[in-house]
Parts: sequence; structure tokens; C-alpha cells
Amino acid sequence: MASFECQACGARVEIEDDRRTGKCLYCGSPQVIDRPPSADRPSPTFGLAFVVTPERALETARAFVRRPFFAPTSFRKAKVDDVRGIYLPAYLYTAVAHTAYEAQIGENYTVTETYTTTENGKTVTRTRTRTETEWRSLSGRCSSFVGDHVVSASRGLPNVELESIEPFDWRAIKRYAPRLISGWATEEPTLAPAEVAQEARTEASNAVGKRLARFMPGDSHRSLRWQTTFEHEDLELVLVPLWILPVRYREDKPPVRLLVNGQTGRVHANTPTSWIKVMTAIVLSCALVVLAIWLLTERR
Amino acid sequence: MTCTRCGSPLSAGDLRCAVCALPCPPPPEGESPYRSVARVLRCEGCGAALTYDVHAQAPRCAFCGSVAHLEESEDPIEEAEGYLPFTVAPDAARDALRAWLGSLGWFRPDDLASDANVDTLTPLWWVGWTFDVEALVSWTADSDFGSRRSDWAPHSGQTPMSLRASLVSASRGLSETETRRLAPGYALESATERPHAMEGAQIERFDVQRSAARLIVQRALEAQAASRAREAVPGHRVRNVHSVVLPKRLTTRRWAFPCYVLAYRYRDRLYRAVVHGQNPRLVFGDAPYSLAKILSVVVPIALAIAALVAYVLLRR
Repeated sequence: MASFECQACGARVEIEDDRRTGKCLYCGSPQVIDRPPSADRPSPTFGLAFVVTPERALETARAFVRRPFFAPTSFRKAKVDDVRGIYLPAYLYTAVAHTAYEAQIGENYTVTETYTTTENGKTVTRTRTRTETEWRSLSGRCSSFVGDHVVSASRGLPNVELESIEPFDWRAIKRYAPRLISGWATEEPTLAPAEVAQEARTEASNAVGKRLARFMPGDSHRSLRWQTTFEHEDLELVLVPLWILPVRYREDKPPVRLLVNGQTGRVHANTPTSWIKVMTAIVLSCALVVLAIWLLTERR
Repeated sequence: MTCTRCGSPLSAGDLRCAVCALPCPPPPEGESPYRSVARVLRCEGCGAALTYDVHAQAPRCAFCGSVAHLEESEDPIEEAEGYLPFTVAPDAARDALRAWLGSLGWFRPDDLASDANVDTLTPLWWVGWTFDVEALVSWTADSDFGSRRSDWAPHSGQTPMSLRASLVSASRGLSETETRRLAPGYALESATERPHAMEGAQIERFDVQRSAARLIVQRALEAQAASRAREAVPGHRVRNVHSVVLPKRLTTRRWAFPCYVLAYRYRDRLYRAVVHGQNPRLVFGDAPYSLAKILSVVVPIALAIAALVAYVLLRR
């Protein structure tokens, strides 16, 4: 907890260490904290502004909650009326990727063969064509830029959750300025760049692999293996806009956290599953199959 | 100033490199705060604290409602550095339209060329980029070279190439197909630094932002590299050419290209056409068909087919 003097009324404002913004208790003025950057906690370089309004976020969330059929009825009917906008710290990764790869490339060819068969009681000779694949090994190198991979810098919101509402449109990027986040809850990074670098590299490496599969020649390929080295890596702290909506559907269960991408409106939540509904569906479908088989055999 | 990663020149105010997306260093400010400070942003109108407003997409004062725009934080909007002159005069453009209307073929109304009236004629400088780049192109392909049982053998390689001067449109006013048809007719060497006087001419701005252009440029580079990589593949017959481009030192030139956008009226309906600003023979756009003429061909053919079918059926 750090204590600051409110620039508007002079009162003391207490702001938690992992927060970048706060509010004066006495005059309500929004405060933005500028802390000196360190290796573990860099200052934000860029930010994306909120585009989705809270009304639209609520609307999207309500529609999302009603959708999943196998969710408990109490979840599908849960009230969603609490919406909070936050700026989540994340690292934006860009690098030059040099990849060495090897693969078996399948090149098809056709062979014509003769065979004998019996037609109308006579033995005759016929020809037919068959497609065969010749496997040739290929190795090589591929170099490209990899860009715009985002990894969460917050322990509070794991990267898998952030991935579920990506992508962000990086064309709308703005240089960080306190006025971008003024009045919005903003977290400080709780993960250091070194802690997420490997995760970012893995994400980039997977993207390289996907691209490599499209890069292969031939009619088909198999046993594609690759090794990527990254050069000129860069991790920048960025602030991304999120709407967070807690969905409370049962007294005895913790609320489900629903996320809405504050820029694109993409929505995600780990929807609970009602096992009673799933079991009922399985039992019903089994009963239908049994009934169908019984009807078919009875007819004979 | 150049990018430290790929060596491409940077423009003042760039947020990220237009080629490799490496963040550019921020512009020097007065003093940087090296101790923790709490800041309150004040409205210039009434002095109250500002908060960022999602409806206004900018910080807004909750009391007096005035909006402070985040101006310098966005990518710079570019202007063209080379303007190609109009060598086709407005009257020549009108004539070119008439000549084109008369050349569209038999299915158009007979009086199209004579009865069409030009409503508006707007000289327009549309904008686009050309680029020069040294790139390392990684490629793979199949060719007949080294083939065994199959006709094809796989090959791979990396070839340094200088790719140059492809025209990429940044126009909002003209569609991509329209700019592609206009592009071959321009003489880049005729460009001047300032636009010459042209009455009523509109000059487009590079509305597509620089970092958005990064993807367009990358796609254009890849298309060009794929056709050039074909030459690097050994053998005579080549197929399945794939290429990946690693650009270095990409320099972009921004051009403004002249054309006329015409709206003409024929029997109370408006149609749009585009006339090239340097080559009066390059004209395209919308034009009406003559329903009477189309029916006069379709109806006899349909009747003939019907008669034939009826004849075949009756003979059975």
C-alpha cells in the first residue's frame, strides 16, 4: 500500500501496490500513479482504448449466458448487471524467427498395371491406374518476422483466459499516456518480462509451425520437425481493455468470471456444466437407439 | 532515424516500425518522473478532473462535458511526396467517357453515348505506395529437377532479392479492382513534389494508417516474391511455389495518381465511371443494358428451344 497526496484536494490517497490508478476518497478525483520503472515492472509503452461501451458489454454478456444448452438453468437465468472495465497489463512480443526444418514430402505418381480377372466365366486381362506416393526428404531454412503475440502480465488473469478473447486489433495502438487510463481500474504487471518470455516464444513458435505446414511443397507431407531461434526479441508492456462481469448463479458456488474484449466485444467464460442435463441427454439418446433397434428387429 | 531491427527508415511520430513492428523510441519529453507521483488530469474548460470516456473515445470531463482528444498518440497520417500531373484535360475526359459508352457493344441502348449527360466530373488524386526493399526470401517448390519415380522433386532455398516499385493502393475512394486497372497507365517519372493547379481537384490523404499498411505491404511483397522465387527454383517445370519474406531496409514512396471520377445520368438514373488521368483510353465503370435488345435475343432463342423440346416430345 502506498500513500499519495491528492493533487485536487490535498487529502491522503491510499493506493495498492499492484494498482496504477485509484480514486481520492474525499473528492472523488481519479488518480493515475507514475512509478519509476524497474526490470521486473516496466512502464507501459502502448495502450488500446476502450471501444465497446458498458451497455454493449452487458448486452453481449447477457446473450452469452443464455446460450449454452448444457449449463445449469440457474446459470442461464442468472442476472448479469455488474460490469467493470479494467486495463490489463500484457506483454506484446515481436521478433525475427529463423527456423530450420525437415520433413518428408510426398510426391504422387500414377502407375499402370495389368491384371487378370474373370468376366462371364472367361479369364481376361485388364489395365488400371493407381496413385502412388514417393516420399522425399526435404530440409531447409525459413526466416520471417513474428509479431503481435500477447501474453498476460497479470497473475490474477492467466494467459489462457486472455487468449480466449483475443485477437486485439493492433492497428489502433496508442502510445501510453496517463489520460488513456484516467478513471479506469488499471493493474500493474505482477509478472516480470523474464517470466513470460518463454511462454511468448512458445506461442510464436506454434504460429511458425502452423505457417510452416502451409509452406511445404508436394502433394502431402509428414514428420515435419522444426527448430526456431528468435533474434532481436522485444517485449513491450501494453495495457489492454477488458470488461469483467461476475456471474453469480448459485449461493454456494463462486461467481463465474465473464470477460468481454473491450476493443472487439469478443466474449468468453468458463461456463459451468450441468451433469444432470448431460446424463439425461445421454440416457435419452441411448433409449432412442434401443427403441430404434427394437422397432427394426420387430418388423422382421 | 532507422529501425534498429530491420534498418527501415522511420518517420517522425511513428509508433512502431512499418515493416517489423518494433516499437520506436518515444519522443523526448521535458523531464521524466523518477519517483512515484499521483497525477490528476484536469479539464481545460472548467478545471475538473478528466476520465477517459468510452462513448467519446477520448478523455471527457464529467462536469462540463468537453472532450480532450488524444491527438499525438495516433499514427501519423501521411501525405503524398510525388504528384503525377493530369495530362488528360476535363473536356478530354468527357469525350473519353462518350467514346467508351459508344464502344460497349450491341447490348447497350443505341442512344447511350448521345443521351448520357455528365452530372459531375471530379478530378481526384488517389494515393498509393511504391516500395524498394532488400529481402531474404525463403522458398519451397516442386520441380522436375532431380525427380525420380514421380515427375516432381521438392526443393527449398533462401535467396536475397531486391523487390521494387510495386504499386499498393491506399485509396478509400476507389476500390481495389479499380486501382489495379488504373495502375499500369501511370508514368512515375512525371511526378512533381507539389500538386499542380487543377480546378476542383480532390487530393486523398493516406487514411490507411502506417501500421495498418504494414500488412498490405507484406502481402504485396509476398505476392511479388512468389513470382520471383520461381526463377530461383532449379529445373524447367515448377509448381507449388511458396515463399516467406523477411524484408530489410524497406523504403516507401508515397504517390498521388490522377484520375477523373464521373457521375453521368441516363434516363434519370446515375451511373459512375472512372477515367484515367494520363491515358484517355483507360475508362471503366457502370453502364446500363438495353432490356429490349436483350429480350429480342433471349425470347427467340427460348421459343426455339421450347419448340424443339415440344417437337421431340410429340414424336415419341
